[in-house]
Amino acid sequence: MPARPLGVPLALVLATALVLTLFPIFWIVMTAIKPPTDWNAVPAIWVPAEPTLVNFKTLFDAEAIREYGVGGVSQSATAAVGGSILASVVATALSVLIGLLAAIGLSRYGNAGRATPLVILSARMFPPAAIAVPFVIIFSAINLIDTYVGLIAIYVAITLPFSTWMLKSFVDDVPREIEEAEMIDGRSRLMAHLTVTIPLIRGGLFSTTLFIFILNWSEFLFALVLSYSSINTIPVQLAKYVTAMAGTLYGVQAALAVVAMVPLVVFGFLIQKHLARGMTFGAIKR
Amino acid sequence: MTAAVESQEPTAVPTQRPAARRARRPRRLGLGRILTLPGQMVSVIVLVVPLSVAFYMSFTDWSPTRGSLLDAAFVGLENYWELLVYDTRFIEAVIRTLALTVVCLSLEFTLGLGLAVLFLRKFRGKSLLFSVLLTPMMVLPVVVGYTFWMLFQSNGPINQIIAFLFGADATPEWFREAPFAMTAVIVTEVWHWTPLFFLILLSGLNAVPDNLTRAAVILGAKPRQVFWRVIFPVLKPVIMVALVIRSMEVIKLFDEVFMLTRGGPGTATETISLYIYKLAFADFQLAYGAAAAFLVLVGTLFLVSLLLTPVSEQLIKSRR
Repeated sequence: MPARPLGVPLALVLATALVLTLFPIFWIVMTAIKPPTDWNAVPAIWVPAEPTLVNFKTLFDAEAIREYGVGGVSQSATAAVGGSILASVVATALSVLIGLLAAIGLSRYGNAGRATPLVILSARMFPPAAIAVPFVIIFSAINLIDTYVGLIAIYVAITLPFSTWMLKSFVDDVPREIEEAEMIDGRSRLMAHLTVTIPLIRGGLFSTTLFIFILNWSEFLFALVLSYSSINTIPVQLAKYVTAMAGTLYGVQAALAVVAMVPLVVFGFLIQKHLARGMTFGAIKR
Repeated sequence: MTAAVESQEPTAVPTQRPAARRARRPRRLGLGRILTLPGQMVSVIVLVVPLSVAFYMSFTDWSPTRGSLLDAAFVGLENYWELLVYDTRFIEAVIRTLALTVVCLSLEFTLGLGLAVLFLRKFRGKSLLFSVLLTPMMVLPVVVGYTFWMLFQSNGPINQIIAFLFGADATPEWFREAPFAMTAVIVTEVWHWTPLFFLILLSGLNAVPDNLTRAAVILGAKPRQVFWRVIFPVLKPVIMVALVIRSMEVIKLFDEVFMLTRGGPGTATETISLYIYKLAFADFQLAYGAAAAFLVLVGTLFLVSLLLTPVSEQLIKSRR
């Protein structure tokens, strides 16, 4: 479309959109830097007069959090952050690796048939609450409940459709002829994939990795039902605070929310160009 | 070019040594199978096996306090019958979730399209504003739920603004009354996912060829005609993709509602996922919960398969 400049009324519309987008983020960040006396003040304080990082200290200090400790949140968030990092990193690596193999297979040996996209998409339709029930039963039987191995296995399975289809869309962008030229030099087909295609899609591989990390880091329901005492993730810890304290731990919870959010916002900006591709299983490329 | 001959597709040159071609095909298929095998195995082990267990379980009266699943009594379709005929809470959750899907998607689509159209104009700071407007979709659902829970507190900032504009009597208790609690859920969901519609629709609009719209304008088409006759047909598959993918997600809605209202007050904001979660993990009615899950699954499969055909065509087309 021919690009026209923006008039004043439309600029105001955009400004409103900007304010509405940023306000909740502003609020959570402000709450995170409020001293305890400001947490639940009436009327609510928008910008603290004396901003402080004490909430972040409390969050990772087992002693400090115990002073607020009511009903099961005497735990610091250190274990939750560690658990989130462990589960997300390992699950992301596995999901991208398996997805990359499948992506090359589907893209270059297109005999997977027309039904495959349907099958893979339908895997995303299962409500997690529905698969969570049998998982808990099976995992209890084979002692995988409350373990990172179990959690990671589920994360790999639920992010695999995303990694496979996102990577496949990148592999599709690489012309077959380049691989075939390499094969004339006497390399096998597999070597051509490894030495030609994968280096060519490394940008896409990077974006896919961050995208899958975002999905794993955000996951809540499976972590909630599979964790009892020995595993923990940030979303579960956040929910525990809200339940046990009836929300009175405002500042500390907000601090944990900020800790959870910052890496994802950074990663999101880095892969902005490919977000649509990831969210739509590669159906939309820009 | 020799490279092209090497990649011989069956349709290319039919006279060329059919025997050699036939010999190569199984090997190519073999490597393709091997490459996709790990992914298929993960899907089978982690999805098919649990679902089969759940399917069997949904025909029993098993609960974890009664010992092994294998000893549980087989009750046939009793659970399903109970759900569909007597369980008003289940039926209500289904209707509520569907209504929520329609309302949220309409709002997100309208707002996202409006923003995307504005982004076809020229203005300063466009790429920065674009990035900032995408931020909500990168925030964890749990954090979004928690943030809006704070915003909607009775002494929170939203009520402060309402009191400032309309007086202190106008401020609602957001989580105590059903319509307000539902509004809070919708506002949260719309804030979180409008950016995705904006992103997808903008990329669709940018894909409309310039000279096509220019030609239409020169030929005297009115703006509305340009939109419906020129832009909309190009945009349609993109809209379908966005709607299908988002509706799949809203039907599963859990995290935000869990943090915001826990389905309350009463069951006023209880989604299907939340109801199944409560059945299984609060009431330990696992067999009954599994039956509910399967009904949802069948329903979703049916709904999405109606919408999915255009998307899968898009996926196949994008293979090139």
